[in-house]
Amino acid sequence: MATRMKSLKFFPVVTCILALVLPASRALKGQGVPAQEGVNLDALIIQDFENRVSEYAKLHKAIDAKMPALKPTDSSEKITQHQHELAEQIRKARQGAKQGDIFTPQIHAEFHRLIAIAMQGQAAARISTSLRRAEPVRLRLQVNADYPANVPLQSTPPSLLMNLPKLPEEIEYRVVGNSLVLCDAHANLIIDFVPGAIP
Amino acid sequence: MRRAVFILLVAGLALAPWVLPTQDRPSVSASTAPFQRQVNSAAQVPPSELTLPLKPGSVRFAVIGDSGTGDRNQFEVAGQMAKYHEKFPFNFVIMLGDNIYGGDTPGDYKKKFELPYKTLLDAGVKFYASLGNHDNPNERFYAPFNMSGERYYTFTKGNVGFFALDSTYMKPEQLAWIEQHLQSADSAWKICFFHHALYSDGKYHGPDPDLRARIEPLFVKYGVDVVFSGHDHVYERIKPQHGIYYFVVGNSGALRSRNLKPSAQMIKGFDTDRAFMLVEVAGDELYFQTISRTGKTVDSDTLIKQP
Repeated sequence: MATRMKSLKFFPVVTCILALVLPASRALKGQGVPAQEGVNLDALIIQDFENRVSEYAKLHKAIDAKMPALKPTDSSEKITQHQHELAEQIRKARQGAKQGDIFTPQIHAEFHRLIAIAMQGQAAARISTSLRRAEPVRLRLQVNADYPANVPLQSTPPSLLMNLPKLPEEIEYRVVGNSLVLCDAHANLIIDFVPGAIP
Repeated sequence: MRRAVFILLVAGLALAPWVLPTQDRPSVSASTAPFQRQVNSAAQVPPSELTLPLKPGSVRFAVIGDSGTGDRNQFEVAGQMAKYHEKFPFNFVIMLGDNIYGGDTPGDYKKKFELPYKTLLDAGVKFYASLGNHDNPNERFYAPFNMSGERYYTFTKGNVGFFALDSTYMKPEQLAWIEQHLQSADSAWKICFFHHALYSDGKYHGPDPDLRARIEPLFVKYGVDVVFSGHDHVYERIKPQHGIYYFVVGNSGALRSRNLKPSAQMIKGFDTDRAFMLVEVAGDELYFQTISRTGKTVDSDTLIKQP
């Protein structure tokens, strides 16, 4: 009895230590958000993704604001020049950016889950057919690289987009083979990507 | 004598369709007549003849898709368009995407748009583009495409509302935009145009079922009359689906020869050369004529606005 009482005496201490250590280890493993009691972990991961995207969008806007605003023009040269200049400045500001900076392992896993949900039931065959017919492309993906002008865009099925987190206007999801790519549509720049995201 | 009478009879029968004035020719209404019927059959139209009625006050335009190759074929189609423009002075052209293939340098814009359509541009014809999967989305800032910097937009001409969509990236915000604008549009005709076809018998791509599942219910709900798409490099007229007339015009520059696999939904297909369309809308009638690179009429008909 005395031994049992002795072990119970340590129970709250052990619980507290575990409560502190376990979420931290999970966060470290995923380089993402720690779990909090009563909080939806999926929501926290999405929040983390949105924060990272928002940081990128802030950078994009800050650079774009320093350049002459691009308005409809007869000069195709101005359009091309603006795009290249914007891409160049963003590239400089994100020197060292690498795959997984935005799609951390935790976010990567969350996107797998979201895409799997989108492709459940009747929608699965429909989305797969659309992807197959959307001119699938092969491309060696590289963060901070331009999306090549001679490679077509594989259309992203609307049912898939409806299940993914909303993005700022200048950023879009693109499907490249079975990867999901985060692209800066104004700068025509690859921001990050998730290899093998599309089943 | 009997032989002479026979020859006269045969000649009379052969010439009869051309004697009838255009407006007296029977028209086809999807609600009253089967669409398989070929009225005003293209086979009967001599080369370079206009079948469109040129009614006063009508809305007149041309349709091109997958045009921006910059090769000789695109220039020849553009040449036919300019030739027909003299007989059928259309005010604008709608572009169904893949406007500039393979690059986005100023040279590409010149070679694949400005030079081929120079005659039309000089004549004041406006071009309204939608984005294809070979287009850089920044084409929306190119003023001659009249997109006002938007990837999807609307404009009205006479009694026709036009809705240009970006089918490569149909995000939820665009779906909401379509719904809102189709609902509030008060034009008699609603015409949507975009790149990926909801119905197509093209073997290379075929229809996009997920896009169709998401946007067709909106088209039906808000009374869209006609949809023009490209992507498959062929010409095809589809039987009305849920009361909507569908066309694929993806061969105004590019061509995927003999790529059509005819099905029960096809009214007319053309996959052996390039083509463009001329369209005239007057009251409740939409007249169209599809013309090949060589000037041959490959399809023409009158569509009646569905109730």
